[in-house]
Amino acid sequence: MTAATADSGLWSEAELAKFRRMTLIWGITVLLLLPILALLGYFMRLYQSGAFSGMRAEWFYAVLTLHSLGMVGTWFVGSMAGVSYLLLKYTRPNLAVSKFVYVGTLLGVVLLIACTLGGLFGTGWYFLYPLPLFAQGVWAPWATFTFFAALTILGVCWTIWTLDLLRAVAQRYSLGAALGWNYLVGKPGPELPPLVLITTVSLIVSLSGFVAAVIVIALFAARALGVNVDPLLMKNLTFFFGHDLVNITMYLGIAMVYELLPSYAGRPWRTNRTVAIAWGAVLFLVMFAFFHHLYMDFAQPTWIQKLGQICSYLLAMPAGVVSIFGTLAALVFAARMKWTLSSTFFFLGILGWGIGGIAAVIDSTVEVNFHFHNTLWVPAHFHTYYLMGVVLIILGFIDHAGKELSGLEEKPALSKLTAALLLIGGYGFLFMFYWGGVNSVPRRYAIYPQEVIQGTLYARIAVGFITLLLLGILLYLWETGRRCLKALA
Amino acid sequence: MHKTGPQSRHRLPFRWSFRAACVAFFAFSVFIFVRVAFAQDSFGQPSQEPPNEERFVYKLTPDVPITTSSGVQNLSAIWHEKPVLLTMIFSRCARVCSPFLRSLNSAVSDAGGLGTDYRIVVLSFDPKDTLADMQRLASELGLNADPDWTFGVASPSDIRSLAAATGFWFQWDSSTQQFDHASLVVAIDRGQLVRMLAGPSVPAASLREVVQELRGKFVASYALAGKVAFRCFEYDPTSGRYSLDWGLALMLLPGTCAILATAWVFFLLPASRKKRNLI
Repeated sequence: MTAATADSGLWSEAELAKFRRMTLIWGITVLLLLPILALLGYFMRLYQSGAFSGMRAEWFYAVLTLHSLGMVGTWFVGSMAGVSYLLLKYTRPNLAVSKFVYVGTLLGVVLLIACTLGGLFGTGWYFLYPLPLFAQGVWAPWATFTFFAALTILGVCWTIWTLDLLRAVAQRYSLGAALGWNYLVGKPGPELPPLVLITTVSLIVSLSGFVAAVIVIALFAARALGVNVDPLLMKNLTFFFGHDLVNITMYLGIAMVYELLPSYAGRPWRTNRTVAIAWGAVLFLVMFAFFHHLYMDFAQPTWIQKLGQICSYLLAMPAGVVSIFGTLAALVFAARMKWTLSSTFFFLGILGWGIGGIAAVIDSTVEVNFHFHNTLWVPAHFHTYYLMGVVLIILGFIDHAGKELSGLEEKPALSKLTAALLLIGGYGFLFMFYWGGVNSVPRRYAIYPQEVIQGTLYARIAVGFITLLLLGILLYLWETGRRCLKALA
Repeated sequence: MHKTGPQSRHRLPFRWSFRAACVAFFAFSVFIFVRVAFAQDSFGQPSQEPPNEERFVYKLTPDVPITTSSGVQNLSAIWHEKPVLLTMIFSRCARVCSPFLRSLNSAVSDAGGLGTDYRIVVLSFDPKDTLADMQRLASELGLNADPDWTFGVASPSDIRSLAAATGFWFQWDSSTQQFDHASLVVAIDRGQLVRMLAGPSVPAASLREVVQELRGKFVASYALAGKVAFRCFEYDPTSGRYSLDWGLALMLLPGTCAILATAWVFFLLPASRKKRNLI
């Protein structure tokens, strides 16, 4: 049993039941959004295959915007809900905050759908300054306003959620204890679960990301009122926010793996000096790694570009190497692993994080970035550590919680088939992205021009793999959704 | 008489209406003549805002013939030798032209490189200006003996095509009998407009940036004319280095806020303080 119990003294059984119910609601919402947002991705690759030649390209970009923001938001709330649930063993997150954030998130999602599918707002997730304010007749001003309203609502809600989880940690741990400083100096101290350490680091970083988003939105408002703003500053702030949010989602997923995988391996995974140093370094390095998004912005001084490359390299070492090595050597190797759908997803998720991370480090090298920048290599690497990384981990968590709370066991043959479909479909789909990147196919093109017409063929092949992926997702939804609904009933 | 009466009554209005038509036609002709005459003296839309550099930069400048003290030559004859700083003024200007040229001269002295890295061409956009007028202006500014300053005139149509390519405008104001016009100097390298500086005077720092460009040094970032809030970096054209600007403070704000919020949660929240003794 990995869930919190009333024996801990932190919760009454009634309180725990309410929190479990809220976690299930979050989980089911994520499971509902997953196929919708995945189908949007399917639509985009079909569009690039030339399947919708009569449809306006503006639809592609509107769907691109909704798919990217929707996926990032869905998995962020998924990871936050998962971590909140697992933290119940150690602290007391506020249930009312979780409910409030749920309502706010739904409202934000509705507004996002309205401005993209209703208003054809199509800037992509990064809404790069000043594009949202210059629609060229494609979308109306109300769509821009609605988009920023959605971002504001989501940003405010998620900041409150972040602060509440930090508050919950602070109720039981001092800042030094929560960050594992006693491990750093080698002093005896309270045992710190890796979940608490990684969550604390992630929440502090996510706070900084949300503040960056607030500044970006405020400067957009200033621009709308006629004040010129430095585009370089806007781009830096936008990627500060975006890069941090994506990384934090990944780290929260890793925190769940640290907490849950040991129960399948039958071995503990405790915080030690190496883990504390690694995640302490993450707290610092992740704030500077985002500079690798601006390598092609020659107005950025060279020393910042160098800093971006150094921090990107260093960032891969502590969290990535320590966690991946920990998974393989300390937990899985020679262990009597109980391989279920959840533990398989946790393991594959760490694998995806590793593969996507290596691809990211390659692209974060300035010399390589000259060739790969804005090619399909970019969506290749972030889809690897998202789709085959944190998404698998969160799906593993939902499956784990569903089984734990419903008492329904899984069907091993069906689980193997699900994992195989997701693995083959997912990596096949990703391979076509990587292959496209290596062959200079640009990203964010609705229709490929003659110079890179090979992108159309790659998209067609990718569509076949996505079909397998969607089949795997449907199988997963059928099984896990069934368990979650039973637990909720 | 009986018959002629009505005829007279008919003729009189006809005659008067014919005369009125003639007067109206004459007035219209004068009006059109004046409009046409002065229309040649105006070009572009007056604006208090500087031209949008992005619209003009790296576009080819028309290679028009100009008349200078050396005779008639094409602009390309000058920019093929060296890059050119081109500005347009009119000699009877009672307002900004002379101070503008003096500030340009001062900025050039400060930036250096005149004659070695670039030359300056000053053209009149006033069709009434003659080469003698321009030479008189050059003498007044003490520039007539400087071979790297070229004062000249060009045909109105050529002036208009140059103005169109460089974001320049001029408008005749009959109340003041003066032109209202842009104050602008553009840098042209091998026929391409590479930079423009707008404003009533030429700041030496800005001209140093331009000179760096004309020397072939890549200036990655510079402030466009008009206020830009919160710039990250400021470029110093003298040293070729960047210094931090206030925009970078905004980049530090997210991290600072995160630290403050964390400190608030861990140290100041009453609930945190109360329960800290747990671990």
